Amino acid sequence: MSKVNSGNLFVFLVENLIWVLVLVALIVFSLLSDKFLTPFNMVNLLVRVAALGLLVIGQSFTLITGNFDLSSESTMGLTAMVGGLMIASTVNGGLGWEVNPLIAIAVMIVLGCAIGWINGTLITKFKMNNFIVTVAMLMILRGVTYAISPGQSTSFFPELFDFLGSGSVMRIQQATGRFLPIPAAAIFLILMFAVSHVVTRYRRFGRNMYAVGSNRSAADAAGIDSQRVILLVYIVSGLFAALAGLLEAGRMDSATPRMGSGMIFSVQAAAVIGGISLFGGRGTLIGAFGGVLLWGILDTGLNMLQVSPFWIEVSRGLLLLFAVFLDAMKVRYLHRIAVRKALTGNTIGLQDPVMT
Amino acid sequence: MDSQAGTPVLEMRGIGKAFPGVQALADVDLTVMPGEIHGLVGKNGAGKSTMMAVLMGIQQPDEGTIVIACAQFKAMTPREALASGVAYVPQRIAMMTPLTVAENVLAGMMPVNKMGFVNWGQVYSEADRRLKQLGLEMDVRARVEGLSVAEQTMLAIAKALFSNAKLIILDEPTAALPRPDVDRLFAFVRSLRSHGVAFIYISHHLEEVFEICDRVTVLRNGRLVETRDVAGLDTPTLIRLMVGEDVKEFAREGSQAPQRTEVMVVKDLVRRGHFEEINFTLHAGEVIGIAGLEGCGASSLAKGLFGLQRMGAGDVTLGGKPYNAMTPMAAFEQGLAYLPQDRYLLGIVGARPVRENITYPVLHRLARAFGFVNQDEERKLVQDYITQLGIVTPSAEQTVSLLSGGNQQKVVFAKLATTRPQVLILHEPTQGVDVHAKIDIYRIVSDLAAQGVGIVIISSEVRELLGVCDSIMVMYRGHITERFVVGAPGTTPENILIAIEGGAVNVAQ
Repeated sequence: MSKVNSGNLFVFLVENLIWVLVLVALIVFSLLSDKFLTPFNMVNLLVRVAALGLLVIGQSFTLITGNFDLSSESTMGLTAMVGGLMIASTVNGGLGWEVNPLIAIAVMIVLGCAIGWINGTLITKFKMNNFIVTVAMLMILRGVTYAISPGQSTSFFPELFDFLGSGSVMRIQQATGRFLPIPAAAIFLILMFAVSHVVTRYRRFGRNMYAVGSNRSAADAAGIDSQRVILLVYIVSGLFAALAGLLEAGRMDSATPRMGSGMIFSVQAAAVIGGISLFGGRGTLIGAFGGVLLWGILDTGLNMLQVSPFWIEVSRGLLLLFAVFLDAMKVRYLHRIAVRKALTGNTIGLQDPVMT
Repeated sequence: MDSQAGTPVLEMRGIGKAFPGVQALADVDLTVMPGEIHGLVGKNGAGKSTMMAVLMGIQQPDEGTIVIACAQFKAMTPREALASGVAYVPQRIAMMTPLTVAENVLAGMMPVNKMGFVNWGQVYSEADRRLKQLGLEMDVRARVEGLSVAEQTMLAIAKALFSNAKLIILDEPTAALPRPDVDRLFAFVRSLRSHGVAFIYISHHLEEVFEICDRVTVLRNGRLVETRDVAGLDTPTLIRLMVGEDVKEFAREGSQAPQRTEVMVVKDLVRRGHFEEINFTLHAGEVIGIAGLEGCGASSLAKGLFGLQRMGAGDVTLGGKPYNAMTPMAAFEQGLAYLPQDRYLLGIVGARPVRENITYPVLHRLARAFGFVNQDEERKLVQDYITQLGIVTPSAEQTVSLLSGGNQQKVVFAKLATTRPQVLILHEPTQGVDVHAKIDIYRIVSDLAAQGVGIVIISSEVRELLGVCDSIMVMYRGHITERFVVGAPGTTPENILIAIEGGAVNVAQ
C-alpha cells in the first residue's frame, strides 16, 4: 500500500476497512463460541469458500475494467459436468470414456477460456451490452449443462481429479497430538489470490486493466488497446470459473447439473465488500480476498451459532447493503478531502465566489 | 516576437462547413507558428468549436485544406490528427482519476523489468523525471482525483507532450480557476512556448488573451474577421471585431413596457458560491436581459427559480404571492416557465412527436374521466400553436428530432406557452438556430411580452439582447454589476461587453 503519514491514517483505514471488518468478525465470533477460532475450523472455512473465492478472482478482473461476468456460475457448472462425464464410469453417470483425469482437466480449462473468449468477443467486437451477453450466456450454459447431464449427478471420480477439491498437501502435528491436514483447496485459493494480486499490481496487463476501468477513452488515448484488455479479462474469468468447477467437483466427488446455480450474487457481493468498485478502476485483489474471508466467517460463524439459514441469508443481504453504503461514503469522503486539498493547497482558497 | 520564425505548425486554408440550415464555417484561414500562443476568440456560435472539431478530425470540412507537419489533408480522422501532433485539452479533463499521477503519465508504457513485472520504483522516478523536465513539481504518488483543476490541466498538457504533441488546443482552461492557479498555469504554458510548442488558446476571458497570446484570430458568424498581433491591440477594438457593426438584428417595436404591474420581484436572493444579492423587479410585458460569462451565476439563478436547483435564500414574489418552487412542476403551477439552454438534454424529447412534446406539462388539464386524454382538444391546442408560432413541420405527429434547430426551439416555446406563464425565463433561446429562425423566435418573444408576460432572457448575444430587451443586467462572479437601460446613452454593445468582462463602466444614465 502507499505510504502512510499521520494525516492520511484515516484514509488508510477507510481504504483497508475490509480487514478491520474481518478482524472484528473474527473477534466477535470467537467470543460467542469457543469452538470457532480453532485451526481446524479456520482451515475448513477456507475450503468452504474456495470455489466462491476463485469465482471472485475472475469477477474482480472483469469488475476492475468496469465490466462484469454474470455467466461465471454457469461456466463453473458446465465445465464440472463436462469433466465429470469424461471421467466417470457409466454406472456413475459418466459416458464411460474414463479418460485420464489430466486430459479432463485440460479440456475443462480450455472450455472455460473458450466461453470467456465468446463473451469477450461479443462484448468488444460486436459492441453488445455486457449485461445482456453474460445473462444470456448464464441461461444458455445452464441449459446445456442440464441437457448433457445424465439427468442426475456424475460421481465417484479418480483421486487425481479430486485432489484439488479434497486432497491435502501435508499434515501438521498439533499440540493435542492430533494431525491437522492442510487441504490443497485452501493452499490453492491463497496461491491464486497471490498470483492474481501480483498480476494486477505488477504486470502491464493488470495496470492496463485499471486504466481501462478508470477512464476508457483516456486509456485508449494513451495507446492502451482496451478491446484486447477486456477480451482478456473475460477469458481470465472463464478460466477461474473452470478452476472453480474442478475444485467444487473434487470437493463433492460429484458434478451436479445445478452446481454453482445462484452463486453469482454471492460472488458480486464478496467482491464489492472487498472494495472492488462496480464502476471500475478501484479495489485490489487483496481486498477481494478479505471480502471472501468475511463472507466465509459470517457463514461459518452463524452456522455454528445455529442461526436459521433464512436469517443467514438476511445477514448476507444486510452486509452487502452496508458494504455499498461504505463504498459510497468512502468515495464521497475521499472526494471531499481532495476538494479541500485543492482549495487550500497552493491557492488562496475560496476567494472566488463562483467556483464550483 | 520569435513566433514568426520558421514554417507554420498548422495551416488551415479556406475551411468551410455547413450543417443543415446553418453555415457554421465559410472560408476560414488559421495559421499557427511554432512557439506561438494563438488566441481564438468569438461569441458563442461564431465557429470556434466547429473549427477545432475540424482540426481534431471530429468533423469533416466541406471545403478547404489543412496542412500540418508538412502533410496536406482534405479532412482528417481523429487518429491522423493525433498522429500529426494535435492534442486537445478540454475544460473538463478526462483522466484516470482513481489512479496515481505516475500511472496517468506512463499509462500504456509502464516500465517493466526483464521478467515483465512492473517496476514501481522506476514508475515513480521515471514519471517524476519526465515531469521535472517540463518544470513540473508534482507528487507522482498522489491520486489524480486529489489534484486541483490547474494541476490536472498542467498534467494533461504534459501528457500530450509526452505523446509528441506539437500543437495543443487549450479550451477555456481557466474557467474554473482562481487567479493564483491561472498564474501558475500561464507560467507553465509560457515555459513550453520557449521550447517550440504551439498553442491554440480559446477563451471568453479577453484579458487573458491579452496576457498570454502572441496573435489572435477573431471569428464571427462562421467567418474569419481578422488575425492580428496582440501587441498594439486593445480590448475595445477586439470586442468590436468580435461583435461586428453591420449585422441586422431583430428590433422589437414599442419596447417600452406599457403596463407597469409588477409580476415578479426578487429581493436579496443569495445562494452561496453561485450568486449574491440578486435584486430586480419584472413588470408585465417587460423584457429584461441578463448577460455574463459562463459561470457568472445567471444559469444557477434561472435554474434555481425554476426549481431545477436550490433557489437559495431571499424574497421572491410572483403575481403578488410569495414564490417558492422546489420542482419544475411547482414552478409551472405558480406561473413561471423556463426555456433551458440545452435543448437536447432538457428541452425536447427528441424521439417523440411534436404533439406530445407540446402538451407534456398540461396533460392533467386535458385529462378527462379516468385520466384519459381528450385527444380532440389536444390536437386542436397543438394545431393552434403550430399555426401561431409558425412551426414548420409536416404534421403534429412528426418526430421532433427531425425538425431544424429553430423549429425545435419553437416547439419548446409552444410547450412553455401552454402553461400560460406570467414569467418566462429564456436561456440562450437562439443558440444553434439560423438567422431567420432567430428573428422568428424574437417575434414570438415580443408577442408574448405584448400579451403581458414578463420575460427574462439570459444570453451571450449582446446585440440580440439590445434588440429585444427593455433593460439589460450584467452579472459578473455572482453579482449584478451593471444595469443598462436600452435606448439610454452609454448602452452600447462595447460597454456591455466590457462590463461582462468585469471591467467598470462609467455610464451616464
